[in-house]
Amino acid sequence: MNELESLVDALGIELDAGRRAAVLAAFQPIAQEIAKLRSLDLTDVHPAVVFSPLPTDRQG
Amino acid sequence: MHDNPITRPVAELSADLRAGKLKSVELVENAAERIKTIDRKLESFVCIVDDARAQAAAADREIANGRWRGPLHGVPVAVKDNYLTADMPTTAGTAADMNFTKEDSAAVAKLRAAGAIIVGKTRMHEFAWGNVTPPSKNPWDTSRVPGGSSGGSGAAVAAQMVPIAMGSDTGGSIRIPASLCGTVGLKPTFGRVSRAGIVPHSWSLDHAGPLSYTVADSVHALNAISGYDPDDPGSAHADVPDFTAALGQPIAGLRVGICRNHFFESNQPDVGAAIDAAIGFYRDAGARLVEFELPILAYGLGAIFAIELSSSTAYHSRNLANGAVKGFTDDVRTLVEMGRLVTGPDYLKAEQLRRVLIDDLAKMFTDVDVIVGPTCPLTAWPIGEWTVRVGAQDESVLAASWRLTYPWNLAGLPSISLPCGFDRAGLPIGLQLASRPFDEMTLIRAADAYERGHDWKDMHPKI
Repeated sequence: MNELESLVDALGIELDAGRRAAVLAAFQPIAQEIAKLRSLDLTDVHPAVVFSPLPTDRQG
Repeated sequence: MHDNPITRPVAELSADLRAGKLKSVELVENAAERIKTIDRKLESFVCIVDDARAQAAAADREIANGRWRGPLHGVPVAVKDNYLTADMPTTAGTAADMNFTKEDSAAVAKLRAAGAIIVGKTRMHEFAWGNVTPPSKNPWDTSRVPGGSSGGSGAAVAAQMVPIAMGSDTGGSIRIPASLCGTVGLKPTFGRVSRAGIVPHSWSLDHAGPLSYTVADSVHALNAISGYDPDDPGSAHADVPDFTAALGQPIAGLRVGICRNHFFESNQPDVGAAIDAAIGFYRDAGARLVEFELPILAYGLGAIFAIELSSSTAYHSRNLANGAVKGFTDDVRTLVEMGRLVTGPDYLKAEQLRRVLIDDLAKMFTDVDVIVGPTCPLTAWPIGEWTVRVGAQDESVLAASWRLTYPWNLAGLPSISLPCGFDRAGLPIGLQLASRPFDEMTLIRAADAYERGHDWKDMHPKI
């Protein structure tokens, strides 16, 4: 069982055999791109997540 | 009297409508006739509104009574089928029963307020995933795809059925069909145009914008739809200038950036030659060319996949839970199901990369005013074909087609595609420009100057 198959099981993702094979095959090249992303050391970079708390009197 | 007035750009239509030389009713009837005859081949529309003629008649009365609303008043416009509309159903391209609300999206409401007649809704790739938009066809060669996911809008504009058709763009879905169909496609800055009432695909990547005959036509649409909207959490409190002020301006001294990695590494030869010629135009017009590289783009594809997949899966979590995904097409169902394999750290790593890209671009924009390059590395490919020769290798069309557009979604920058030539098979090639956040004025100035210097906009497919 490879890492992706283990992940499907660990996450409890319910897929019949046909769907499981299709999803894993399609995700394979994407997983390679994400693996490249994981190789980057971005420890000191704050993610570009939108989060801007506003005081109550300025909320729309 | 023009045989087909709907084929003329908005500025000409608007001048004649305002002067009473042309009636909106004539325009709507002309559009309906062209849709009826041409769209049997192209299948770009999924819905035509019942009362377009009555709406046009009302616009004609308003204009005659001196209540002219602006350049879009009485002009037929189409919208992609993920824009909610009060008078037409919305499907977002899916056959599954989603039961979307019948109310106007913010952009549609603004277009109506500007006097546009929303004549119909255009076909899209299911839930804006994918980039071929079946069964729509490319007007330049009906055996080829129009691109996507706003493929119906691209085909409808290229075939001159409407001067403006709205699209949405998460990784290139306005600019890819614009490039493949030979139209203009404008993706404004993230936050410039409200997405309220547009079926979400990926909240932090989705943009709304027009496809159109000309740069000026897109500018008229942008003027109508821009502005802060509290109903869109991504909407920005940004001043909205009159974008038409950027039209007809000189470009001498403009600093034109050319990112030599990523954007020029693997393009079809005819695409590369057309872009080189376009760069030569800017040089000859007095612009200063600045070459640079952005190494971080080598990691961009993993980042946009992580964000897009996880966002789409989060949006469709109810459809996954209740089994509605079984009604999706196989490819889209697979994409929605696979987003669960993107981990939380992957998603946040992607958002970290996005911050690096935004910062790197901000530094670069101290030296350049616009960045130019190809919109797509390839021209329209045959329907049903999944790999195509790009550069020295066979490549998945899905991977290749959005490679040059998605960086501007990750960074949220304004970007435009406009025609810049044809390949040896007679298929359109798109030139892409991007500029600083909320600096659509410079983007428009540079794009309009290129368009005025060439006659690509006057070339149309024979259907």
